[in-house]
Amino acid sequence: MSQFLQPTILLLREGTDTSQGRAQIVSNINAVQAVADVVKSTLGPRGMDKMIQTGPKVTISNDGATILNLLEVVHPAARVLVDIAKSQDDEVGDGTTSTTLLAAELLKEAKPFIEEGIHPQIVIQGYRKALELALEKLEGFSINISKDSKESKRDTLIKCAQTALNSKLLANTKQFFSELVVSAVEKLDPNILDRDLIGIKNVTGGNITDSFLVDGVAFKKTFSYAGFEQQPKRFENPKICLLNLELELKSEKENAEIRIEKPEEYQSIVDAEWALIYEKLEIIVKAGAQIVLSKLPIGDLATQYFADRNIFCAGRVAQEDLLRVQKATGGQVQTTVNGLNPETFGTCGLFEEVQVGAERYNLFKNCPQSRTATIVLRGGAEQFIQEAERSLNDAIMIVRRCFKANKIVAGGGAIELEISRFLRHYARSVTGKTQYIVNSFAKALEVIPRTIAENAGLNSIEIMNKLRQKHAQGGEEGRWYGVDINGASGVCDTHQSFVWEPTLVKRNALCSATEAACAILSIDETVKNPKSDQDTKMKPKGQPGRPPMGMRR
Amino acid sequence: MSLAFDDYGRPYIILRDQGQKKRMKGLEAYKSNILAAKAIANTLQSSLGPKGMDKMLVSPDGDVSVTNDGATIVEKMEIQHPTAKLLVELSQSQDAEIGDGTTGVVVLAGKLLEQALTLLDKGIHPLKISDGFDRACDVAIKHLEQIAEEIDIQANDHEALIQAACTALGSKVVSKRKRELGKIAVTAVLDVADLTRKDVNLDLIKIQTKTGGSVEDTRLISGILIDKDMSHPQMQKEVTDAKICLLTCPFEPPKPKTKHNINISNAEDYNKLYQQEQQYFIDMVKLVKNSGANIALCQWGFDDEANHLLLQNNLPAVRWVSGTDVELIAMATGARIIPRFQEITPEKLGKAGSIKEVQFGTSNERMLVIENCQCTKAVTILIRGGSQMIVDEAKRSIHDAICVIRNLIKDNRIVYGGGSAELACALQVLQYADEVSSVEQYAVRSFADALEGIPSCLADNCGLNPITSVAQAKSRQLSEKNPRIGIDCMDLGTTDMKEQRIYETLSSKKQQIQLATQVVKMILKIDDVIAPDDY
Repeated sequence: MSQFLQPTILLLREGTDTSQGRAQIVSNINAVQAVADVVKSTLGPRGMDKMIQTGPKVTISNDGATILNLLEVVHPAARVLVDIAKSQDDEVGDGTTSTTLLAAELLKEAKPFIEEGIHPQIVIQGYRKALELALEKLEGFSINISKDSKESKRDTLIKCAQTALNSKLLANTKQFFSELVVSAVEKLDPNILDRDLIGIKNVTGGNITDSFLVDGVAFKKTFSYAGFEQQPKRFENPKICLLNLELELKSEKENAEIRIEKPEEYQSIVDAEWALIYEKLEIIVKAGAQIVLSKLPIGDLATQYFADRNIFCAGRVAQEDLLRVQKATGGQVQTTVNGLNPETFGTCGLFEEVQVGAERYNLFKNCPQSRTATIVLRGGAEQFIQEAERSLNDAIMIVRRCFKANKIVAGGGAIELEISRFLRHYARSVTGKTQYIVNSFAKALEVIPRTIAENAGLNSIEIMNKLRQKHAQGGEEGRWYGVDINGASGVCDTHQSFVWEPTLVKRNALCSATEAACAILSIDETVKNPKSDQDTKMKPKGQPGRPPMGMRR
Repeated sequence: MSLAFDDYGRPYIILRDQGQKKRMKGLEAYKSNILAAKAIANTLQSSLGPKGMDKMLVSPDGDVSVTNDGATIVEKMEIQHPTAKLLVELSQSQDAEIGDGTTGVVVLAGKLLEQALTLLDKGIHPLKISDGFDRACDVAIKHLEQIAEEIDIQANDHEALIQAACTALGSKVVSKRKRELGKIAVTAVLDVADLTRKDVNLDLIKIQTKTGGSVEDTRLISGILIDKDMSHPQMQKEVTDAKICLLTCPFEPPKPKTKHNINISNAEDYNKLYQQEQQYFIDMVKLVKNSGANIALCQWGFDDEANHLLLQNNLPAVRWVSGTDVELIAMATGARIIPRFQEITPEKLGKAGSIKEVQFGTSNERMLVIENCQCTKAVTILIRGGSQMIVDEAKRSIHDAICVIRNLIKDNRIVYGGGSAELACALQVLQYADEVSSVEQYAVRSFADALEGIPSCLADNCGLNPITSVAQAKSRQLSEKNPRIGIDCMDLGTTDMKEQRIYETLSSKKQQIQLATQVVKMILKIDDVIAPDDY
């Protein structure tokens, strides 16, 4: 009877939601499925876009990471998916959708085991084992391109970029853009390949193929004062002075106050202030600078002063642009003009201000230490360019990765199927429950080709059967068969049709998908604290940042 | 979005504010997007062509504007629907790049979407449709380049340019005066154009509006017009052989930028201070006068004392000239902008043939005209008209015309208007369609149908029977192998657009077709819309 007398122990705050046990795992798996379903239709060359409205802003995207991010997922388990998509995006930049799908599919395959009472840890162990084997095989299958000649390597990189662009809005102009991207990446320092040094600038208007690459830096004309138009707009081999300094007539210190006792002193104070600014300007001119760029404002006085002396200037240049100019021209950003040394000036082959669409752009071309490039994107609508920018970003990341890793595999689901075939084969040699689990892993991998086929409106069952048959022959022959969205048969050798991807993308996708699946499987209890008071008070007012309903937007 | 339940009957909350979000998927999403976009296109449809109608738009503040410029209409409609917004941007990007044809591009996009809708109903995959459109677009563009003709812009006193400007102005409210306005626009552009580099900086053409008078009174000033008058009513109203001093400092005692206090402890100091201030004014005027300047334009204000002194010294002056005007004047007169009185030198002065104050009508408003500038690069078009609305619309129309001329200077190839170019492309695309063996064939054919929508819309707006006139034009194009047959909107008795002299630039037509296809492709690629459920 003693158990009835046990007092209730209140361990958690009132309102705390706890759920545990097998039901919890299953529920988490279902949540993950729901999220993965949203991005499912974006996979592959016939993948569709999503339009997501958050507040007044509308985003149209095909990029898995972008979509998941904008969905504002709050379910704790489903958030894991968002995180792996983001990590894939940060790490390799592409393949975010396939990672998400793979993780969800692995969980889906694990669900029956959990329901039947197999301990989650066994499933996890099985998955880890399968992953290990899969990665080993992936390395084995991948094709090394490091020994290729420069031209053929470039060709390979272009092919990889094309594969990345296949599913995007730019698919029809992929030839054009892949070459653009590869040329941009080739400009970078091959040892570091800093992504930040490729700038992408958007200018609405014009056709998408009017986009162009500047081997140097380009940025939009900054805010200018009267007198700017009188400055020269074109230089060859100019001396470029980079500053982080305000060139304006203003008080030196914010809170200083001057007491003037005698009227005669008045003029001297005024003169002193003018002398300060003139001194700065004079030093710059004397040092021989022809272009002056500053992160901080360059006032009207300085603008006119420079105009008088045939010097071009631009104030309020964005930090990243200034940084790129610095890299490209070999100059150094100065925070003071005292002791300004002409050695800190950069130079470039040609500086020009040109009209791009409705905007004017400053172009720095043919830079001597050109380790930077800028892509100027054109296109009809704002959203179009933004999506184009995201797509190019993916392509740049892929090319960068490929440049470094030098290993590629064939896409279109071919590599997944080949690993799947191998794992199925291997599973037969395993005793115990692991056999099932490795088999499920193999089955989960098939989600990639299956979804590509489904999205293209093909009969996925028929295609999967054809593909399995091709791969089952083993050896080199059927290894690279994947989904073909154009041909009549629906399958083709994707290696020959140049659907190539860097091995690294696949490797990372496999790893992070498995890790995420394992993480979700190992959670058997969620303790969710009630929302803090502050949060519930905020709630009826709607989300911060969104204007109340009925207001004009 | 509806709630999902797991196997144990517990509801999920996966997304934040899930209940307040709306989600549309698949066919439902395509259709809703297409219908929204089509609604915009339908609004603009009646504004197309020379007999197109105007729209009256009332802003939230009650301002009324009447226009038939596509970009302006959609901008002022304040559209909220996300897909429809894409069309707004489409129109604006045509405006930014070409400046003309903003209505046409939206109407074409609408026609394409209409065709896409029927294809979707047939069960064709949206991406197949967009592929087909893309291929058709390439064919159409190639054909456009083939039928385009190069014109000599110099010949016959720039007759071709004037005709092209007239075409652009033909659909506007000012069409009655299109010849005169066209000439003004052409002269203005040629004045500032750099013909060797084929570049026109539109910033150098200033368009100034003034209500009153009629559209006929619109004129071109080969110089600059500023909406200011002399700082003192008694100053002389006209200066010939002006030497202009451009100042960016006020006619006031200089002030240090640092916060300052003057402590006056006795009457002697006070007097001294007063005298010093007086001395400043005298010095300033003297400095200006000594440099040889006979007029001063200042970006800032004058002290009353200074104003008086200027008058006494017979030095006309203008105050509060805006920064952009200062820059324009500097460019046109070769002046240097002077930031400090101490720096005035004779070399820094700008020169102009005459500066005079002109008065309009019976109103008291006056403006300054600066003419015969030393290095005349800037010109001004002064637009007059009965009401603010007409003046505004005339300004937009002239802007369109200027853009057309600029584009012709950049690229002197033209196609003929009146729907003839679209018809010719449609025929070519139709022919190509039969060569396509896959599903895209249907999409290609629909593209041709959509292109035909433009002439049919033109005919409709002119009160002609759209089907008969398009059919006639089409058969004549085919039988006579003449791609210049279009719709006779003006009822001139000929359908040959070469005889009617309806010129449009190739770049504008090309851009229209390309941009419309691009946006349609984008709309067709969206299969999922997630939005807050509150509009």
